[in-house]
Amino acid sequence: MPAAGAGAPAQPDEVRPPGLSSSADATQNAVGATRAPAARKLHPLVDLHIDRSAFEELERRADRGGPWDDWTLYKMSWEAEEAQLVTDFHELQCMRVLPGLTPLPHQEDTARRVLHEMRGRAILADEVGLGKTIEAGLILKEYIVRGLVRRTLILVPASLVLQWVRELNAKFGIPAIAQKKAYHWNNDIVVASIDTAKRDPHRELLLDAEYDMLIIDEAHKLKNKKTGNYQFVSDIRKKYCLLLTATPVQNDMNELYNLITLLKPGQLGGEGDFSANYVAGKRIAKNEDKLQAALGQVMIRNRRSDGGVEFTRRFVANVPLTLSPEEQALYEAVTRYVRENATVEGVDMSSMLSLVTLQREVCSSRDAVFLTLVNLFKKTPEDSPRRAKIWELVEFIRQVKANTKAEATMELIREIGDKVIVFTEYRQTQEYLLRFFQEHGLIAVPYRGGMNRGKKDWMMDLFRRRAQVMVATEAGGEGINLQFCHHIINFDLPWNPMRVEQRIGRVHRLGQTEDVKIYNLCTYGTIEEHIVHLLHEKINMFETVIGELDEIVERMEREESLEKRLAKMLIGAKDEGELRAGIDNLGESLLRTKAQVETEGET
Amino acid sequence: MNARQVEKFVMSYLEATGCSIIEKSKGGVTVRLSPEADKRLTNRPYYWGFVERTGTPPETLTFHWQFAQEDAADEADAGAPANGGQQAAGSAVGSAPAQPAPFGAPPVRVLREELYFGSGRLAQIFGAVYDGGRCVAMFEEPPRGRASADRLGSNPYTAWLGVNFKVDYECDMKREEIYGWGISLATGYIDERFLDGLRDRKLTPRLPSNIHLLPNGLSLKKAMTQLEHALERKLKGGDFVWASEAEERRQDELQRIRAYYEPMIGRAVTEEEKAALTQRLAQRESEIDWQYRPRVTLSVMNCGLFHLPGIH
Repeated sequence: MPAAGAGAPAQPDEVRPPGLSSSADATQNAVGATRAPAARKLHPLVDLHIDRSAFEELERRADRGGPWDDWTLYKMSWEAEEAQLVTDFHELQCMRVLPGLTPLPHQEDTARRVLHEMRGRAILADEVGLGKTIEAGLILKEYIVRGLVRRTLILVPASLVLQWVRELNAKFGIPAIAQKKAYHWNNDIVVASIDTAKRDPHRELLLDAEYDMLIIDEAHKLKNKKTGNYQFVSDIRKKYCLLLTATPVQNDMNELYNLITLLKPGQLGGEGDFSANYVAGKRIAKNEDKLQAALGQVMIRNRRSDGGVEFTRRFVANVPLTLSPEEQALYEAVTRYVRENATVEGVDMSSMLSLVTLQREVCSSRDAVFLTLVNLFKKTPEDSPRRAKIWELVEFIRQVKANTKAEATMELIREIGDKVIVFTEYRQTQEYLLRFFQEHGLIAVPYRGGMNRGKKDWMMDLFRRRAQVMVATEAGGEGINLQFCHHIINFDLPWNPMRVEQRIGRVHRLGQTEDVKIYNLCTYGTIEEHIVHLLHEKINMFETVIGELDEIVERMEREESLEKRLAKMLIGAKDEGELRAGIDNLGESLLRTKAQVETEGET
Repeated sequence: MNARQVEKFVMSYLEATGCSIIEKSKGGVTVRLSPEADKRLTNRPYYWGFVERTGTPPETLTFHWQFAQEDAADEADAGAPANGGQQAAGSAVGSAPAQPAPFGAPPVRVLREELYFGSGRLAQIFGAVYDGGRCVAMFEEPPRGRASADRLGSNPYTAWLGVNFKVDYECDMKREEIYGWGISLATGYIDERFLDGLRDRKLTPRLPSNIHLLPNGLSLKKAMTQLEHALERKLKGGDFVWASEAEERRQDELQRIRAYYEPMIGRAVTEEEKAALTQRLAQRESEIDWQYRPRVTLSVMNCGLFHLPGIH
């Protein structure tokens, strides 16, 4: 038996919701009968609880002859109550208190289904970018407005805590706070990282409490029921529960089963029944229709392809550039250096990667490569012959007077004549570009991961109101929503398709009303050309939104990260032809994984 | 509540709590809160503790609340800069005599907020209204002239207990009703439209002269019990389909988890395992109970003693 009312709000006994403290039918009636005043039966199925605290107050004051409250406020109480009255079991109430929010039809529809069909326990499994958080917020708000939910616990990965807090506050007027100190747990609505929550001393506190609503983001991380996280979430006492995930959990039958068991044990039958009834193989289901029906009762998955959500189109243009002779000379010198040093025996993976980085940096700006070289120089032993080599490279840098790419970018921005976001991988390039733009009378603002929240918001605001250009190094991270801009210039490209998609996703998202134009700067005869070839021509990742990209990349990287594979290829290839073949190969396997994920997704 | 109703409501609150209106524009108001409202709305317990301990003259906050968003667009464009300018000057000149500031006249910081149905600030004002209007004792002003007075020149008054009830019908979903009923303490007569009836009367918290109160036949407690029973009878006549449906869902859910756990409990090898599973089942059962069990809560929102002329 759970400790009676532990952590439950202090309320007069008669009105305590028949929560965990009164479990089985028999005990409840027995307890009710001994309690004064008793919960009376209003109907064979329905107990009547009475809260007379205001009347008891009146009696006390009548005895003492006052003090008495204000008559106007007395009448206004009625007015306020009348205005907030929930007169209907079904009609969505939260919309009338959220005048600033216009959810998309599929979001509102999802909220309704969770409230009325799934009764507040559901897996929200929309594809990325369809607004799961909005759906969860709507559902939570509705329960709060109806007075059915007060205590709420929201467990999310640490990196998303602040984003949740902000969204709930700003979009839904839900006073959520981020858990930082122990006493924060007492707040009605707390957002915390699951890894913090499961550890002592927090764990104890949470397991003793009762939550009207439990929300878990990135819930696919709970797929393994042997893990501590799974057990912990399973042990939390909850009334309503939402699990959010963008990963198609249908792909692994056991994981799917575990997740649903967390929400509604027995929904897919007992463990044995489940394997017998639905599982033909690890990733293969049987009795598809029955399984879908059972899933449909607890899970909602909206897809972009379902329509209803209109995304604007993406147009992509490669901007081929030829390096100036000086830049070309630098590139070749660096390439030579990389080859010589990467094939030396005993070179480990990390120094190999940093060598390849040098090569990538040359394609970006001399500033980027210069800093790396300086650092490399410092790390190299004083007596090493490599020091002289590095110094030679620095000499090459000195020869470079202009940046071909920066000039092309400048021209492109002038042509566009509208807001543009320029992405680069390197901090030095970012600073160079900001200087360069400023010298040419273009107003540009920076944006990078290291900035604190306030500064980020300020930069976004400046970009919206004042500046034509934003130069950003960070695309992941949370909270950059730049729907007011629809031109992206990839000054250089990340090697991981996910990060490319994140960049585009900042701009090409719900709320974008224009078609999005993407420009990839691509220097001939460099490693960059190969990357653009892979991402653009081979997997066409710029124009089509690859629905399950995170899943595809995750599978591809089970053995080794894409970056490492590319680096190895680059160093190992004897000539251009071999490199091209290797990259084509990688592209093919990406496409194969994509096809695999898609067919599984359809089942 | 639409924007106009919100505005009316908030203005009544400001007036009732003695706040000083600095400027009232169409769809908006600039107001310096009274100490009472400030304590209730600005969440500054430390500041108020300091003021009360040291006897410092309190500096209450000044807000500009905008109610209407649609009208605000055209008006704010034209009005906002002008307001701002006027504000800075006004705080030093215009409004200074009204609220004497301790150190000369420092510029007043005006906090701007949109106040709409659903905003946190309005919810806070609702809360302040509930707290500030829980129990009242009121008298109706005696009619002018002596026409209705008895031969001693005094009007007979009946005491009533007026109670505003809120009824919550709750399962995994919820619905509410409110009732503004009253009962005569003299006779036990119940008026189901009592609150409505009060709206047209002129009420005062002070005992008027030339009236006499009829003796009460009922204690407050008895009257309350009678009111409750009457309301309960009414509620019993309501529609309980929702409850049967909720109960059906509850039973379904219970069956589902029992079908899941019971075989596992049966297969359990050790006693510990069995106990752990049994406990988990109990926890799930109680969660389901908590979520689905149909229940009705009757609560007293606020209540009051009302002395009204006549014999009832």
